[in-house]
Amino acid sequence: MAAYEEFAKEQQAIDELLFKGYSIAGIQEDLDGAKVKFVRGEPAKSNVELVLLTADARKYVTTLVFANQKTVVL
Amino acid sequence: MADLSINLAGIKSPNPFWLASAPPTNTGYQVQRAFEAGWGGAVWKTLGDPIINTSSRFAAVHFNGQRVAGFNNIELITDRPLEVNLKEIYETKKRFPNHAVIASLMVEPTQKAWHEIVKRVEAIGVDGLELNFGCPHGMAERGMGAASGQQPDLVLAQTSWVKEVATTPVIVKLTPNITDITVVARHAVKGGADAISMINTINSLAGVDIHSWNTIPHVGGQGAHGGYCGPAVKPIALSMVAECARDLNVGVPISGIGGISTWQDVVEFMLMGATGIQVCTAVMHHGFRIVEEMIDGLNNYLDEKGLASVTELIGKSVSRYSNWGDLDLNYKVVARINEENCINCNKCHIACEDASHQCIDMLTNAEGKAILQVREEDCVGCNLCSIVCPADGAIDMVPLESGLAPMTWNERQKVISTLNGSYSEAEVV
Repeated sequence: MAAYEEFAKEQQAIDELLFKGYSIAGIQEDLDGAKVKFVRGEPAKSNVELVLLTADARKYVTTLVFANQKTVVL
Repeated sequence: MADLSINLAGIKSPNPFWLASAPPTNTGYQVQRAFEAGWGGAVWKTLGDPIINTSSRFAAVHFNGQRVAGFNNIELITDRPLEVNLKEIYETKKRFPNHAVIASLMVEPTQKAWHEIVKRVEAIGVDGLELNFGCPHGMAERGMGAASGQQPDLVLAQTSWVKEVATTPVIVKLTPNITDITVVARHAVKGGADAISMINTINSLAGVDIHSWNTIPHVGGQGAHGGYCGPAVKPIALSMVAECARDLNVGVPISGIGGISTWQDVVEFMLMGATGIQVCTAVMHHGFRIVEEMIDGLNNYLDEKGLASVTELIGKSVSRYSNWGDLDLNYKVVARINEENCINCNKCHIACEDASHQCIDMLTNAEGKAILQVREEDCVGCNLCSIVCPADGAIDMVPLESGLAPMTWNERQKVISTLNGSYSEAEVV
């Protein structure tokens, strides 16, 4: 699979969770990539962990958090 | 025509082109001919206790038809008595009062030795002093040159001793044979240096003769490490100039040295913080008259840029030189191949396949012609294809709008830390 396709797949998974009302609550990075914890309060409390392998997806997810934090600060 | 004159820590020169302390500045005859050719200043070949040189001193690294891509020497400081050099310095300065004549000095690291040479040299009228704490061979084994320059405390002490008696500006010349050149630069400044110059030569062995198994050069079958300079070292020198230029604790003018061969090189060094530059290898390769082209080229460049003085270049790119951690991770460029200029040599395809990210496809267009095409979504913008491409204008690196907010590595790590710090499992379970 081309690198972009791997990224696109992971990006889609991130976007789908966000669309479903999840927010990014934690990111743990290790030798195998990044484990991203998504949480949702409504309609039912739940959390989901997504393992991101590609560099672009790891960058993408933190960019979303970064942009969000910047917005909150502003 | 722009004003090319500079003032480096009080040393005035009609242009930024100085000869570095080296074989081309060994005698008054040479320096005066250099000034006649157009050089604005000269740092006299290092004065100190006269040495004895070996025969067979220089070597060069030629690369793919490019003569003298790098140059190596095991020659030491002056082998002539101080008084002889001083007489010629006096005569040179008398003939060229508006040119900068700087004396490079190297003595054993004692206060008495430094005081003695500084007083004797300044008595004949030089415009400044350059302390040679950089020469990596021969003198270093005697506790001088790079051996001094690799010890920040010795740099500070010796600079202080010189400043105790010097009446002209003191430039400290730094060795690149050290982990962090800014440490030594800061110590030179603490010692009172009015300016710093860099880089001296880099420890090197030019080569080994695969037929005789001798080193290159060799002295009767024996070799020793030398000092490397020439075009090959320019990126190293430029980086070290930049590191010192952006360090607020250095904060003194810089004389840039290292592989400067063209007026474009001069512009680069000045943009990166040098107030003036010094040249050696290019003169050893092509002679003093290369300065004519350098002066013309610089003049034309300044006119094109609408700049009235060469000093307007100094440091203009320093703020653009940063740390890796402060670069925008979301900035994206991709390669684009221009079919009309591509010669279908496939170098880009091979480079991308073997050494990068396999995103250049070999295709056939509608007319049945073989073409190369970049899959932009897979291109990481490494530049390798455009670097290896032999055809001008065949590959452009084009910035793309990523749609993502600019974010540096440092910002990213902070975001993750903040995010993880504020998260609690109790909130969601």
